[in-house]
Amino acid sequence: MAIRDTLLANLSVALASSNVSVSSELPFTAAGVALYDKNMKKFYLNVDENATTELFSTLDNNDVFQQEITLQGYLSVDAKNQPSDIDTVVGHVLNSRLSVANCYLRECSVTNEYVEDRNTYTFEFRFLTI
Amino acid sequence: MAYIAVNSTGNFVALRINADGVDYDSNVSAAFVAGNANVMTVPSLQEVTLNASPGTFRWQQLDNASELVVTTPSTNSVAVTLVMDDTTFFGNVGATPALVDIVNNKTKVYFRLGWQGLGTGDRYIQGKGYLTALAPTVAPTSPVWTTPITIEVDGEYTRGNV
Repeated sequence: MAIRDTLLANLSVALASSNVSVSSELPFTAAGVALYDKNMKKFYLNVDENATTELFSTLDNNDVFQQEITLQGYLSVDAKNQPSDIDTVVGHVLNSRLSVANCYLRECSVTNEYVEDRNTYTFEFRFLTI
Repeated sequence: MAYIAVNSTGNFVALRINADGVDYDSNVSAAFVAGNANVMTVPSLQEVTLNASPGTFRWQQLDNASELVVTTPSTNSVAVTLVMDDTTFFGNVGATPALVDIVNNKTKVYFRLGWQGLGTGDRYIQGKGYLTALAPTVAPTSPVWTTPITIEVDGEYTRGNV
């Protein structure tokens, strides 16, 4: 099961009674407009991106590797009339990282950017496992 | 000039130990004869440091402008760090106990360190001693057990070719 599926399953429950919904669609761009900009108050999550890096190097090629999985999530809201529970929603998204098991590092950071009348939150998930 | 490179498969540093309880003091090489099922190859070495430090005694004389020196017995040891392997750390290899048991029981070990592997003709240094300085460590940002181990060498090293 991809980490994306775990996060979406967790967020579908966590945000069920909020002003924001969760989409299982990928955050693709159509006609130059990102889906999350077109459909505000809808959270979109990108696919898992995997990278394998060396944790420990050994002298006999028994190296220990770690897998780094990163995902980006997007949420656009009306900057003038933000949902009243936006802080709670952002908190739920940040906390959804804890629903992913078997990782020794589970991080999520959020940044926001204003474009015209939209405030777009970008979530950066990062997971490390052996 | 000939480097001692260890980056190719046939040239990996090899550390083998034998702690099967047999007395090989008079002939350490006998502990590592081909086919000996009691020889453990210590896997996943990260760093190897061989120490050979003759001691010195210095003194001054009123008729000499510089100190004089004589040597005293050497302190020899082999220090390694390794990624812990469940098989060799907790399991026997033939009559050689697990690494943790060798340390716990202070069992004498015979060791052979191959500078560039231990294939036919490869150079090695060998001796006997005791495993010490075991200090397994793990951390959230480094979630695989690693440990240093030091072989405190009893007596001299000998060297040869396989």
